[in-house]
Amino acid sequence: MASTEIFFEHDRWGHNLAWSAALHVCVTVAIVAYAWIATGRHGSNWGEGGGGSAMGVSLVSNVPLPANPVPTQNVLATESKGLSKSQPQPVVEDKEAIPIAEKNAKKKPVPQPTATQRKPQPPPVEQASNVVPFGEGGPVSGPYSMFNIGGAKGGFGFTGGGGDFGARYAWYVRVVNQKVSENWLKYEIDPRIQNANRVYLTFDIERSGRPTNVQVEQSSGVPSLDQSAVRALQRIDSFGPLPPDYSGSRVSVEFWFDYKR
Amino acid sequence: MRRFFPWLLPIVLLASTSAQDWIKTGTGLGVEKVRIAVPDFKATNQDPRNTDLLKTFNDTLWNDLNNAGIFEMVSKSFYPLGQIGVPGDVKFESWSAPPPSAAMLVFGNLATAGNNATVQGWLYDVKNIASPQVLGKQYTDVATTQAVRVIAHKFADEIILRLGGGVNGIAETQIYYVSARGGHKEIWAMDYDGANQHAVTALGTISLSPHLSPDGSRLAFSSFTGAGWEIRMFSFDLNRVVSFPRLGGTNLSPAWSPDGSKLAISSSRSGDPELYIVDQSGANLHRVTNSKGPDVSPAWNRKTGSQIAWVSGRTGLPQIYTMGSDGTNVQQYTDQGYAVSPSWSPNGQFLVFSWMRHYGPGAPGAQDIYIMDVVSKQWVQLTHDGGRNDFPSWAPDGRHIVFQSNRSGSLQIWEMLADGSNQKQVTTSGNNSEPDWSWK
Repeated sequence: MASTEIFFEHDRWGHNLAWSAALHVCVTVAIVAYAWIATGRHGSNWGEGGGGSAMGVSLVSNVPLPANPVPTQNVLATESKGLSKSQPQPVVEDKEAIPIAEKNAKKKPVPQPTATQRKPQPPPVEQASNVVPFGEGGPVSGPYSMFNIGGAKGGFGFTGGGGDFGARYAWYVRVVNQKVSENWLKYEIDPRIQNANRVYLTFDIERSGRPTNVQVEQSSGVPSLDQSAVRALQRIDSFGPLPPDYSGSRVSVEFWFDYKR
Repeated sequence: MRRFFPWLLPIVLLASTSAQDWIKTGTGLGVEKVRIAVPDFKATNQDPRNTDLLKTFNDTLWNDLNNAGIFEMVSKSFYPLGQIGVPGDVKFESWSAPPPSAAMLVFGNLATAGNNATVQGWLYDVKNIASPQVLGKQYTDVATTQAVRVIAHKFADEIILRLGGGVNGIAETQIYYVSARGGHKEIWAMDYDGANQHAVTALGTISLSPHLSPDGSRLAFSSFTGAGWEIRMFSFDLNRVVSFPRLGGTNLSPAWSPDGSKLAISSSRSGDPELYIVDQSGANLHRVTNSKGPDVSPAWNRKTGSQIAWVSGRTGLPQIYTMGSDGTNVQQYTDQGYAVSPSWSPNGQFLVFSWMRHYGPGAPGAQDIYIMDVVSKQWVQLTHDGGRNDFPSWAPDGRHIVFQSNRSGSLQIWEMLADGSNQKQVTTSGNNSEPDWSWK
């Protein structure tokens, strides 16, 4: 008897189905919402630095490759005279001061040029108002003398036979610049150093393009920084042969490295 | 009861795929690429062959400079009107000022007379009006497109040597690889840009892992014989396979020492695959590894010749190790995943290899090319989201890497710059694998 009753028992599972459907919807919405939030965050976090892969990315700078162009801040080197001439401080006369007569108040007669000796003076030239007045402005020796790597900077001066190497072979100077900056591995520098004095190196480039006589001219006071600069030069086999129409047998270079973490 | 929610599916799928966003990022390196303008060379006479030759020359020169990785090519639409054939035609201000804003200008002319084509080419620093000429060259060869291609390669390499810091260009280099397009896996060769593909061997069996000798005169590879895998040697002087002793067991991946006097190979003649060093003649075989587990894929330090990187399975999955070439001073370089196919950079500073960083059930299983600084052991990933990438090999300039990838659907040879940019496919027909870039 009881078994027959089972057959006639109708389960009311419509309710349960509705609950089940609602629950599924909730779970799905939750997944979608989570995925949305989670992926959104991943997308923006990637490459922000700090992680293991960001450390790896910074290595790319060591691959001897040209970089993405970065606008170089056209900061004047310290040797520059700057855009404007510095004005001498006006001398303020102290009204209380009593002038002291000079000991030997005798004055030699100043020889007055006679009319025949006097040179004809050129008429004063009117300065155009838009001319940069003094030191000509701009970087010291052309656009190639400075570079930036991350927070660090470097620069150099060339001295070759006639003294105009930098002007005549600007392309070669650019190559030297690029090559040294590519081979300067900043991870060799003591990580505790935040910034340091400028280190000056001098070296010669032979006709074959090989750097020789690498010397620290002025130390930064940080041995690891000096060492990294010297190693950058030691890593370079050749800058490429000197220009064939250049008459000298070598070119001397002074290269400076500014380090700032 | 049958109701479910098909409209939810695309949303769930969308949410899961958007997790694969990639952002290209890098640190600023400060040195800008040289902006170089390369107007088409000018024909200086009326010979009918000039059109074809000039097209080949101009395309080849443009591609070589574009591929060099050190130039920013000024788009031809920015060029001032009028062709330039000789230095007298150059108007400096129109090139150095915007829109071209070029720093360097390459120009010249081509003339065909009789059987010969003569090309004159110049490289000018257009911002330096007082002494603009960096390079001036003249080439004469037979008037065929093949010869003109070679002239373009030579001229491009001269420019790259001057402006690339004394590093020779790769326009005249070759790539050796395995191709199955003829039915059998044979060794093939091509120019670095994929032109001039031709078979080197015709052994009718399976040949693998080609490695060119440093002087370019011989090619060592591994080939299946009746008894097993043996090292074979092909001579380009004699244009045939020359004798090399059969060592027994499975012998794979012959790697040349940088002075060309020795080969490092992996051989299973004593059971386990182990590394051996042998003279290039086949004499003086001696073993340098001695551990349980396979030791394969040797690669010499190309700068010093005193170190060998290789793949060892001594801790389970294959990992990259280095040692002195006498077997001392073993160091482990990777300690996770599945790392194979090391290749040492020409300056000795980097290893490039193929790595499945996460390997095993549940891992994504992507196999990508990585580069590692040998001293600091820092690494960076060069390829991503592109199938399985393997067998990287350095170009002699240290700026390019060739590798195999199946990302296009079939196994093909790809090239890229050593920072992972500028990836492009160089072979298309059949299946091509295991590339090896010539030493010069």
